[in-house]
Amino acid sequence: MTTATPPPDAPPRPTWRDEHVTGFGMSVGGPGRVFRPTGVEQIADAFADVRAQGGTLALRGAGCSYGDASTNRGGHVLDLTGMNRIRSFDPQSGVAVCEPGVTVRDLWRTSIGYGYWPRVVSGTMQVTMGGAAAMNIHGKNNYRLGSFGEGVRSFELMTPKGELVRCSREQNSDLFHAAIGGFGMLGCFTSLEIETKRVHSGRMRVWGIVARDLDHNFEILEDLHDKADYLVSWVDLHAKGAGLGRGLMHRADQMQPGEDPDGLRFFDASLQDVPMTLFGVVPKGWLWPGMWCAVAFGQVGLVNALKFHAGYREERSSPYLQSHGAFHFLLDYVPRWQWMTKPGGLIQFQPFLPKAEAPRVLRKLIELCQQRGHVPYLGVLKKHKPDPFLMTHALDGYSMAMDICVSKRSSRRDSLWRLCRQMADLVLDAGGRFYYAKDAVLTESSFPRVHGDAAVSAFRDLKQAWDPDGFFQTDLSRRMGV
Amino acid sequence: MSGCSGTCVVVGASSGIGLAVARRLAQSGRKVAMLARRAGELDAQASLVNEALGRELARPYPHDVAAADDAEALFARIEDEWGEVDELHFVAGLMPEVAPDEFDLDKDRLQIEVNFLGAVAWCNAAARRFQSRGRGCIVGVTSVAQDRGRVGRPVYNASKAGMDTYLEALRNRLWRRGVQVTTVRPGFVETPMTSGLQLKGAIAADRAAELILKARDGGKAIAYVPAKWRLIMLVIRSIPSFLFRRLSI
Repeated sequence: MTTATPPPDAPPRPTWRDEHVTGFGMSVGGPGRVFRPTGVEQIADAFADVRAQGGTLALRGAGCSYGDASTNRGGHVLDLTGMNRIRSFDPQSGVAVCEPGVTVRDLWRTSIGYGYWPRVVSGTMQVTMGGAAAMNIHGKNNYRLGSFGEGVRSFELMTPKGELVRCSREQNSDLFHAAIGGFGMLGCFTSLEIETKRVHSGRMRVWGIVARDLDHNFEILEDLHDKADYLVSWVDLHAKGAGLGRGLMHRADQMQPGEDPDGLRFFDASLQDVPMTLFGVVPKGWLWPGMWCAVAFGQVGLVNALKFHAGYREERSSPYLQSHGAFHFLLDYVPRWQWMTKPGGLIQFQPFLPKAEAPRVLRKLIELCQQRGHVPYLGVLKKHKPDPFLMTHALDGYSMAMDICVSKRSSRRDSLWRLCRQMADLVLDAGGRFYYAKDAVLTESSFPRVHGDAAVSAFRDLKQAWDPDGFFQTDLSRRMGV
Repeated sequence: MSGCSGTCVVVGASSGIGLAVARRLAQSGRKVAMLARRAGELDAQASLVNEALGRELARPYPHDVAAADDAEALFARIEDEWGEVDELHFVAGLMPEVAPDEFDLDKDRLQIEVNFLGAVAWCNAAARRFQSRGRGCIVGVTSVAQDRGRVGRPVYNASKAGMDTYLEALRNRLWRRGVQVTTVRPGFVETPMTSGLQLKGAIAADRAAELILKARDGGKAIAYVPAKWRLIMLVIRSIPSFLFRRLSI
């Protein structure tokens, strides 16, 4: 008697697991059937499997989008974190060829040893290359080097039929400019060719600059933007009156050749990692309960005020030297910090406003939050410039990321959503934009107002051409009526 | 202090501990001849050092340590091109994956050629010159793995033990000529060579380099890096053979 066994080299069938899939903010999401491929063939198999079932598929990286960009309630979710190999890194040019699940951390750990740092990094190093390209993320240098997509030379995209399409600025240029920032609606990145930039030290020179109020923040950004390599301002959104919009700006400049000989040893990747202990002994993974108490007992305003005043001390001791990793990855300083917003989670509301309108509208938004009792526990102000991608969120102006706790009480949650939609109207009336890695509240009617009718129509045409059956869907895409 | 101020030679300088040592030497203002097999990597690393420091303190010399016969000529060429060498760091090492039941002479030979014969070739070339000049410093990086023969990598253990014993002999020969020989036995260090292993408590390569140069400055004969490995290996060495063979360490 013989037993039928599959040939040993046959790829295993995709195994879908029922999981609860949420965004980074833990406030939106739901059940999904998840599969984690480890190779390109498995992605094709997964596509065929879902198509055969007549289902829809969301593409997901590390799940760092705050809202519902990588969730698909009741549908399938392809989690690409298992495809995390850097296929090549050229030490002469600094160009890396990455699988989509390679994280920002994987990339800089490879590149820094050769004197390269990713052109654009997010506030956390957990983000994947595929996710970063699909959301076209930006960093603290958006006003100088543009968005993540501007450092992507080319990529391969798998269409719903399982075909691989190569895209670059020269080849399938329309798809190239739409898939970057196209929030996973046109295909799955299977390989990305990504540029990094030369750095001449493992450290940067960093300044802390106290901003007395919102206008002072804008003044500093305008004064320094043509000198500084990175600019980002933490804003105390609890402050009222004369101090409204006060904060602490951080400026960082890269070193010139020969400027920081002692920084040579910081090209060792181990010296770039964010320390995982406080005072060398307390694991930072234990800190979030303390932060949770600050939120639960309504002391976030006090924490913000203390942080603001501590900024004067930092300003006096500036400039100082800091490794690239320590400067960039503030969100990784306290692991699982978002748990402090449990059980409701958080949303981030990040309007992008044209330069002329930003001071007026942002002031209005902060006042509205304060009046309604939904004061963001964190505000981050950045400067931006436009980029050439179809679904871009960037513009010549500023953005303010506002992290707001979500209550489990439905009345509080509803009032927060109402507030955000009212704020979104103010932003859109002023010619502003939104960023889908963060958004959780916009509605279908906002979609053409964010991007303009022409861009939305072009994007829908591409979606119709490459994915006519609406195979790629997320909770975000359904919310926006893509 | 080692008292050395001439050109340094670092063998195995394209990655890991060797690269970290080369960077720290250059950072302290020393001229460093960087040697490694992979020319592209080596060029990139030497350029990075020179760019970061704003002057030429590193030069790449592509060299395959397994070609031991070439060592003497290359040593002479480095001195011709870049002045007298008075410090050698031999950090090159090979640790291939070996299955528990594998006995592959090709793999074994290569480890002996790189880890042992290569070390002998470069240290001989240095020793001959340093003894006649009456000064100089040789630092050889072996491993805590040389302290016991273990199931996992018999020839790696043996080649490092061979190198370690050779360095001891060299130290005994040369101390009367004013030449320092320091043996470094690193424990767990994060390097490309160990990237496939799950090493708990591994230190950064740069930290290992810092401790190696401290041992050099302190004129140490044998340095465990970090120092706690002296105690750990004391315990491991004292385990009787009938017991050791039953353990999975």
